Amino acid sequence: MSQTPLVEMIDIEKHFGGIRAVDHVSVDLREGEVVGLLGHNGAGKSCLMRILSGAMAPSGGEIRIRGEAVHFSEPNDARDMGVETIYQTLALADHLDAPANLFLGRELKTRFGNLDDKAMLKAAREVLARLNPNFKNLHDPVSSLSGGQRQVIAIARAIYFDTKVLIMDEPTAALGPSETAMVAGLIKELRSAGIGIFLVSHDIHDVFDLCDRVVVMNKGRLVGSHHIDEVSKDDVLSLIVKGELPMDWSARNLKAAQ
Amino acid sequence: MSDATKSYKSFDAASLLPGGASIHRLSALMTLLLLVVGFALSSQAFFSVNNGLTILLQTSVIGLLGIGMTMVIITGGIDLSVGSVLALSGVVSALAVKAGLPVVPAMGCGILAGAACGAFNGLVITRLRIPPFVATLGMMLIARGLALQITGAVPISGLGNAFGILGNGALFRMVEMRPNGFPKVIFPGIPYPAILLLIVAIAGAYLLHRRQIGRHIFATGSNEEASRLSGVRVDRTKLYAYTISGALAGLAGNVLMSRLVTAQPSEGVMYELDAIAAAVIGGASLSGGVGTISGTMIGAFIIGILRNGLNMSGVSAFIQQIVIGLVVIGAVWIDQIRNRP
Repeated sequence: MSQTPLVEMIDIEKHFGGIRAVDHVSVDLREGEVVGLLGHNGAGKSCLMRILSGAMAPSGGEIRIRGEAVHFSEPNDARDMGVETIYQTLALADHLDAPANLFLGRELKTRFGNLDDKAMLKAAREVLARLNPNFKNLHDPVSSLSGGQRQVIAIARAIYFDTKVLIMDEPTAALGPSETAMVAGLIKELRSAGIGIFLVSHDIHDVFDLCDRVVVMNKGRLVGSHHIDEVSKDDVLSLIVKGELPMDWSARNLKAAQ
Repeated sequence: MSDATKSYKSFDAASLLPGGASIHRLSALMTLLLLVVGFALSSQAFFSVNNGLTILLQTSVIGLLGIGMTMVIITGGIDLSVGSVLALSGVVSALAVKAGLPVVPAMGCGILAGAACGAFNGLVITRLRIPPFVATLGMMLIARGLALQITGAVPISGLGNAFGILGNGALFRMVEMRPNGFPKVIFPGIPYPAILLLIVAIAGAYLLHRRQIGRHIFATGSNEEASRLSGVRVDRTKLYAYTISGALAGLAGNVLMSRLVTAQPSEGVMYELDAIAAAVIGGASLSGGVGTISGTMIGAFIIGILRNGLNMSGVSAFIQQIVIGLVVIGAVWIDQIRNRP
């Protein structure tokens, strides 16, 4: 693991007035790594991810992509660097159909600068069929689609373009069991393709099933970053709730190492 | 959701002609036909070529305002300033003519003034984060005040024949001189304002359905936060919409003042309400994300024909206001029922 990390967020700060939403947090992410970001509501995890996705400017700190310092002043800057985000709200325009949403903000155009709806429809059909073979409602406004179908569109939008880093904010919160399994399968597939994934969740079981490493935030601060083998679910729960590992953790770990 | 919501994409012959995919538009079109039949039965003079042309002329101003209004409404906003901007633009054009400019560049100045007012609206809304209702209400007063101030509240007349061509001219007009020296109109021709309206309507529909900016106008009105996160430059999109609305108000002002061959600083009061009514009757949703140019055109004709027909039937201007007010409420009510799950 001597290569340069895909993403380095160094000493990131974010204040809202006197409130420190993100307090000097440093995390990194490597190629093909899934990092679970855990914490209570308001622990600062969503805020940290919004900074990485360009939706929010940090008050301080530095972001590096493949070792190169970058500045994201709007979401398109992050997307240009291959950082894609699946928001918990899905961020879909309800009155537009699936292809229009998929290409929103980066529409395909013909030589004359007109919208190339045919090409967008074709591409949308392909990528959506890959995620869900039953997806047929390509001409309906997405407001008329089911939660699962909407989620598929949001995912398709994040993986269709040349994605290197994927931020998933509670991707399974609104899904049923079979759709959750689909998302889990997809995460494994993307990981083996070398994409780095931040999985924001408060479902500790999901994180243990899918992630290589777990990062825990508490009251805006980073309180732990551990390989998934080093910690038990109880240890992580303690980090989330109390902001520290249980007293006996280091002793246990020492014993395990011996 | 209704059919109207997916019509943002259907740019084909059917979306320009009345009665495309939208049920709302179909019902609006039926209303329009009923109005025509009703007025034709109640008044002989209504169903004549000359009155048809009068309606075309009257509707062209509402229609031009309505096209800009539709774009603004689709972004989820509203533009209350178009009536005043119309007056200011006409006055600016007239002053430019008086200052010695030829008619075409002078009218260009007027339209630019309108666009500037629209851009100001857009900047106040996006930079100062003032709600569109308040920002454009402010512009409504500012533009009216400016128009009155620079003219001293006196109409500008004596603008020359050339100034009247846009509003009074017609394509294919055939006139024959009779022996007694009076001209006889064989065919009144297609009025320039009607041709202008058609061109602007087609351009507007093209912009909304075939260009990226149009897609972004729909997206912004549909879900502003999602659009921003998707990389849509929401502020710039709104700025464009308000600028177009202002420029079209300027164009409408020039058509109107040209028709009168006089610039009236007090012209166009409450026209914004006609334009909003046209858009809403045509199926545009005031909560954003929904609307079509063809629908607005039908809406504009409904209002134009209502006004004209009620006039021809001798209904007073006061009753007309009551009727149009009820029609607007009715149209929105039908829309609400339609969208209820």
